[in-house]
Amino acid sequence: MLSSRAEAGQRMTNPVLNSPLAGVARSWERARRPNRDHVEQLKSRVPYWFVVLFLLGFSVLQIILNPFGFSDLTQRYTQDISNLLITGPFLYPTTGRDAISVAVIDEQTLHGLQMPWPWNFSAHARALDAIREYKPKAVIVDLLFVDMRPDDTVGELVDEIARFRKDGIPIYFEGGIDLPFGEAPIRPEIARTGVPVLDPTIEVYDGVVRQYPASGHCYGRNGLLPGTCPSLALRVYQDLYPAHPLSPMHDKMELVWGTKTAPFNVRFNSGPLPCNDDASYALRIYRAFFDKESAVGRCPYNNDIPVEALLGGGNDADLNALIPGHVVFYGGALQGAQDKSYSPVNGEQPNVFVHAMALDNLISFAGQPQKNVMTIGPYVFSNNTAQIVAIVPIILILSYMHRRRIRTRGRRIDRPDHGALYDWFMDKGIENLWHWLAFLLAIGIGLVLARWSGLSVANWAQDVFLSVELAAMLLVGAPDSFWGYLHHVAGGSPGDALPEATA
Amino acid sequence: MRHIFMVPLVAAAAIYAVPALASSDDCSSIAGDAVLSARTPQVDLYDGPNGKRIKSVDDDKFPKCLAVTQRAPNMMLQVTIDGAPVWVPPHMVNYRLTGKKPAICRNLAMGGTDTKVGATRALGEDCPQKPATP
Repeated sequence: MLSSRAEAGQRMTNPVLNSPLAGVARSWERARRPNRDHVEQLKSRVPYWFVVLFLLGFSVLQIILNPFGFSDLTQRYTQDISNLLITGPFLYPTTGRDAISVAVIDEQTLHGLQMPWPWNFSAHARALDAIREYKPKAVIVDLLFVDMRPDDTVGELVDEIARFRKDGIPIYFEGGIDLPFGEAPIRPEIARTGVPVLDPTIEVYDGVVRQYPASGHCYGRNGLLPGTCPSLALRVYQDLYPAHPLSPMHDKMELVWGTKTAPFNVRFNSGPLPCNDDASYALRIYRAFFDKESAVGRCPYNNDIPVEALLGGGNDADLNALIPGHVVFYGGALQGAQDKSYSPVNGEQPNVFVHAMALDNLISFAGQPQKNVMTIGPYVFSNNTAQIVAIVPIILILSYMHRRRIRTRGRRIDRPDHGALYDWFMDKGIENLWHWLAFLLAIGIGLVLARWSGLSVANWAQDVFLSVELAAMLLVGAPDSFWGYLHHVAGGSPGDALPEATA
Repeated sequence: MRHIFMVPLVAAAAIYAVPALASSDDCSSIAGDAVLSARTPQVDLYDGPNGKRIKSVDDDKFPKCLAVTQRAPNMMLQVTIDGAPVWVPPHMVNYRLTGKKPAICRNLAMGGTDTKVGATRALGEDCPQKPATP
């Protein structure tokens, strides 16, 4: 094989060798059988811009293409662990929890009252009336009244809505979605009262609820309306908490699930298992990573009031503490109703608690919930774009340090004024430092994004993993090798590389 | 002379005792369970424990001291008003029940990571079945 200098000499004298076809053939030959010495020498000449482009390309591919679901998995896993270990127990305030209660119709309610499901409208009207008597801040009915079953007591529910109105207590109903035969989303008798009807949609990912929609269907007196309206929790928050306006929502809320179960639930729970296992923080960390089932809470986070306690009347001290001034959700937890899901910090629970948790987030964060998009001025960036933007400064800094390291190494080779042992330790020490630097850079930028634009940890955590991958790629010299090979194939001369490497 | 000292004591006792007696139970003439008075501005009257509302009565027109003739499992109370038996929701009235009120308990610690239900109940029982293919 000819050296680069010899090749250059021959090309100057031989016109056949100088043809484009011959150039391609030579490149092909170099691609097939690269000269390792040349490649090694050209590696040291990798330019800064190439390292940046190489790392950026790798990052973009990983973030956008989501290979093997890695992107999604890291996002959701990080969110779950963060909920269980950091935000839930330490950072999430209980402001919302102390303002919300959930009145639940469950199997024990049906059994105890001997009232099989479904209840007639009269029974619901009585339950709502019992709640109203405690003067709640608002009531959200998390039951769908879609079916046109014959029930001549529907007027009682209509009258109950009027009583709420008279007392100045807001009451909300929910409308059906995806009704295949064009059914009305809610009974016309109820819709005609003009009561606000909200979209009960929730977001479930692999059976777990981590996000909450910002918008949903609109409903009017005559059923579905065109356009989009705020989702259930957002609408209720906007109506009830005008002092803390809702920040603009462009996509979804990232739910933070609290882990400090309502004290009433802890006290009220009479089952054989406690609501939460008391465990040290170290044990909790172990369980979160290796035995998640034992780390999650067993009871709902928000106050759980059995409906029969309301229907029984009397002057209950607990109810006096849990309903007046509270936002009360009225919903069901019935077997076979398919209205349950998991949260990252709980086992299976009725979806009425998902709506409660979404409102809890809005109250606790004073209208600034965590989001899955980044907003800068008038521009909204998707979480992929946000992650790419966030990884750019990390790439610039890592690439700069990489380039500097290559030059330093070249100087050390030329002037071996330190022992090999010293060099080895210095090299390794700095290399290890890189990992930490990349890691800390990503965490720092993520925290800035979280603080500045409300971007949830799930939407920047991948940058942390990615930054460590990038540091590892630099340590093994992946961009350098790639550059060396490409440069060699393109006809780069190692002679040109030598002066720069030793500069 | 001793009676002079007793007067203020008796008067003080009367001041405390009379309202207490009046508020605790005005309906001592009724044995057993009783609806004492209206608790809410309006009391709804029903034709059955799971029935339909007949009418609503303002609290000032709702009679006091009604004997409870029947208690339904869903906690509705049957009383007789104007000679007709009607049912009242307990949350709308002040009432007195003999015996102990049934405790309301919950096993809230139900959450597990295993799904417990995989079907919707009571549906499809009468659906036409496809004939089995040979």
